[in-house]
Amino acid sequence: MNNNDQMAFLYDSTKCMGCRGCQVACKQWHELPAEKTRFFAGGADSGYQNPIHLSEHTYTMITFHEVVEDGKLMDWAFWKTQCQHCLEPACASVCLVGAMHKTENGPVVWDSHKCIGCRYCMLACPFNIPKFEWKKVISDIRKCDFCADRIAEGLLPACAKTCATGAILFGKRGELIEIAKERLSKDPEKYYQHIYGLEEAGGTCVLNISNVPLKHLGYPDNVPMEPLEKNTQIDMAAISPAVIGLGAILGVTAFVINRRIELAKTKEKGGQNE
Amino acid sequence: MTNQWIDIGHSDCIMIIGSNAAENHPISFKHILNAKEKGAKLISVDPRYTRTSSESDIYAPLRAGTDIPFIGAIIHYALSNDLVQRDYLLTHTNASFLVNPDFRLTEGLFGEIKGGAYTKNTWGFQKDASGIIKKDLSLENPDCVYQLLKKHFSRYDLDTVSKITGTPTDTLLKVAETFVGTHRPDKSGTIMYAMGATQHTYGTQNIRSYAILQLLMGNIGVAGGGINALRGESNVQGSTDHALLFHILPGYLKSPEVTDVDLDTYLKKCITKSEDPRSANWWGNYPKYITSLLKAFYGDHAVKENGYCFNYLPKRSANYSHIALFEAMSKGVIKGLIALGQNPAVGGPDGNIERNALANLDWMVAVDLFETETSAFWERPGVNPADIQTEVFLFPAASSVEKEGSISNSGRWAQWRYTAVDPPGDAKPDLWILDRIHKQLKKAYGEGGVFPEPITQLQWNYGDGEEPDPHAVAKEINGYFLKDVDFPDKKLSFKKGDLVPGFAFLKDDGSTASGNWLYCASYTGKGNMMARRTRSNPQDDPIGLNPEWAWCWPVNRRIIYNRASCDAYGNPWAPQKPVVRYDHAAKKWIGDVPDGPWPPLKNPDGSKNPDGKYSFIMTPEGFACLFAPTLTDGPFPEHYEPLESPVANLMSMQQNNPVIKIWRPDEIGDSDKYPIVATTYRVTEHWQAGAMTRNVPWLVELVPNAFMEISNDLATELDIADGDKVKVSTIRGSIEICALVTRRLQPLMVSGKKVHQVGLIWHFGYKGLATGESANMLTPHVGDANTMIPEFKAFLCNVEKVKGDIS
Repeated sequence: MNNNDQMAFLYDSTKCMGCRGCQVACKQWHELPAEKTRFFAGGADSGYQNPIHLSEHTYTMITFHEVVEDGKLMDWAFWKTQCQHCLEPACASVCLVGAMHKTENGPVVWDSHKCIGCRYCMLACPFNIPKFEWKKVISDIRKCDFCADRIAEGLLPACAKTCATGAILFGKRGELIEIAKERLSKDPEKYYQHIYGLEEAGGTCVLNISNVPLKHLGYPDNVPMEPLEKNTQIDMAAISPAVIGLGAILGVTAFVINRRIELAKTKEKGGQNE
Repeated sequence: MTNQWIDIGHSDCIMIIGSNAAENHPISFKHILNAKEKGAKLISVDPRYTRTSSESDIYAPLRAGTDIPFIGAIIHYALSNDLVQRDYLLTHTNASFLVNPDFRLTEGLFGEIKGGAYTKNTWGFQKDASGIIKKDLSLENPDCVYQLLKKHFSRYDLDTVSKITGTPTDTLLKVAETFVGTHRPDKSGTIMYAMGATQHTYGTQNIRSYAILQLLMGNIGVAGGGINALRGESNVQGSTDHALLFHILPGYLKSPEVTDVDLDTYLKKCITKSEDPRSANWWGNYPKYITSLLKAFYGDHAVKENGYCFNYLPKRSANYSHIALFEAMSKGVIKGLIALGQNPAVGGPDGNIERNALANLDWMVAVDLFETETSAFWERPGVNPADIQTEVFLFPAASSVEKEGSISNSGRWAQWRYTAVDPPGDAKPDLWILDRIHKQLKKAYGEGGVFPEPITQLQWNYGDGEEPDPHAVAKEINGYFLKDVDFPDKKLSFKKGDLVPGFAFLKDDGSTASGNWLYCASYTGKGNMMARRTRSNPQDDPIGLNPEWAWCWPVNRRIIYNRASCDAYGNPWAPQKPVVRYDHAAKKWIGDVPDGPWPPLKNPDGSKNPDGKYSFIMTPEGFACLFAPTLTDGPFPEHYEPLESPVANLMSMQQNNPVIKIWRPDEIGDSDKYPIVATTYRVTEHWQAGAMTRNVPWLVELVPNAFMEISNDLATELDIADGDKVKVSTIRGSIEICALVTRRLQPLMVSGKKVHQVGLIWHFGYKGLATGESANMLTPHVGDANTMIPEFKAFLCNVEKVKGDIS
């Protein structure tokens, strides 16, 4: 499917009031347990933020940021963090068993039955998203699945449905990019002129716009502007042929040497019998 | 609300003051952002920078309790620059009325006070020989309301106001310039407010200041305008409509007092009069509503000869507001309490007083979804249950999704709801519980007792089922014809047993019954109007009134005072967003249900239309009140300091509201011991006294602890780090709570000195999944001069660091 037709989110931080309806709706839809939290556990300035990080029990959350300039408070800004559903996801490319995969219409989901819990995807993700069920005996990777089951039935993802202000828009990636561009050009004073997810990691299905650079809101600022799997793919793709190739060479060498040893032994035996 | 939720989307300037709508009414932001998309400006006025402020174009900090000077500065700006909607003032307000020339404000007092109340002897208007109020249409006469208003607010210049509120003068100017832009006829501004405005000893006057500003701007009755009270509980609007409060009967009729010895005496007090035939004087219809109510209560027992059983109504001899009840309970006067969905142990002011008062009860019936701090007051930390003799009955209640009935929202929409799931276990709807109590009382009184008739003769026709039929209740609220009635002038006839189609058909002769005249037309021969869910076509309904979605009081009028949205000819001030307009050819109003069917005052040729009536039909004169003589504490709002304040009143020698009742004079903290201004508020994640949210794991996950927000400045001064436990004390008590250090609170320069403010969330208590100390242990037992709503929002405290971690 064309990248523009993939299902995507546009999260506009300027329309987000940090109400966290999305965070709770996600928990409710996925029947995820509440975590035991403590206020301020995230340290100074984390404010209302809870839980402090995404986890196997928390697929999306709002982070709180007091934006300060010259010692003065400029804004209280919020960012919704969750899986970015990359167009070319690194997590899917490193998955040894093909559990993690990109669906045709956008969501990056995983097949629980196939997941072996190796956690390569956790290492590969530039946004540090997939989380692991550490406490379970048979454990699985967990992350936002874009409510793939709801989308398949023509419903909105739980977070988008709950959002009162339309800070979370759900639709086709191409259309949402146009909306984002229009907002940025109509209000250049208000918006920081960058659409996160347009090119980061080769483009993601979660687009973010805000009034301050998103790195001030916790978005990692070292994400390359090209698909990560482009590099890993080459290496990963080389592993099988390399292993098979090396195996073949070693196998043939072993066969040849063993054969020679065998032949040498047979020659000795034969001489003794004359 | 005078307007509607959706209507906020039509505003050009939205001021959110005494409210944190983003956190406590988040859905409203859908409409606010709609307005912003069309270029509207949002102003957030708050002691602290909230999630609402994060969406605002202008944030104005202010010292808690200084809303009147803040609004006063905007009024001052408008009046001194003549940026008012003059035509509107002349056509729709009492700006031109001449006031008694002896009326004056002296050192913060509006005249003589006797026995704790103003005599109000100078608060009247000058009248001519035929009793009609004299007016000066040039608005120049020094006795006219407009000139008195100018004189009053001349004292609220920006520099003086800045010294009182702590708001920088350039911010005050920016707010004033932005909001006053809505004085233009084609522009409208709205004010959204909630408890931050009302929960003060002068809360009513806070709202009055909004009314004055909005009338000067011509913003009442228009799309995108109005004074929009954001109601809290989902059905608090319905509750107040049906007389939850002690001083009213259903439909905002007055509750009788001991001096109302009979119906006629009572009516003389309640019926308003006007000599001006152009005034509709709608409360002149009062007898029809009280008579119909009494017929609904007492059926055939209520006849003309016995004053329709008026003497069965309890006559109050005092103020029975929340604070007064708990003061009486403290003295052992009140022996029994039914706490219906109420948790005063957390939600009531002066927690020590109120929790201890509960121990004086012989019995308590708590009706609730959870066991709350109130129903479990006898086993709270620090008390020995053996010392408490109160017998507590806990009735499990059904939640709002577990029963059928209507819920009335802030926009006065009564929306019918169905039972989504059955209540768990023994939990029952309130209707079932009250019905059982009533039946038991009727039985007990049937066997004897003092003055049993008010109970035994109560009409109670709600079916014979296990539970009263909510439809039967709704129909009785709407009202019935009790015999065949003809209306020859309307060419209509009704049979006995027909539902009354609207309150214009209620009568004072005992032929109609209606449980609440305001809700008459909600359930008619056409069906349950509250159950309708038809969205309108934008072509037919450009401003989104949605007249066929549910039902709105009164008579489905969506924006009240809407004839003020037009000039004297019936042409809308803002033709691009009309609420109503008058079609002179068809002789009727088009658009929303007009606020009174009468034509406008003038014909298209400028001649007077003799059938025209003034637009504010609920006031006796027919005009909106810039000068309002009916309130207890003054016809104009005047700044007084909160009961506990760090500074002297800069406006006058009168420190506090002169007519508030001071229940506990020894419980007023001074700023030497308690130098920090404190306020209390709510967060999105928790609900009121906390039973419904501190028992939900997903919400406890978000806000697991009670906390207090404190500025970086003050935290540094007191050596408090983020997350530290602090002790907050007032003269009434102290609590330990965790501190959240933030730049969203800043110290303010007030009267030349630095004043610190802290804010506490009040949702916590000792019951539930998440527990913590209750901020209301700190708040004062004192209330507003008119409504007695407690002053939760501004008091004095001290803050100290405590060793140890939050548990």
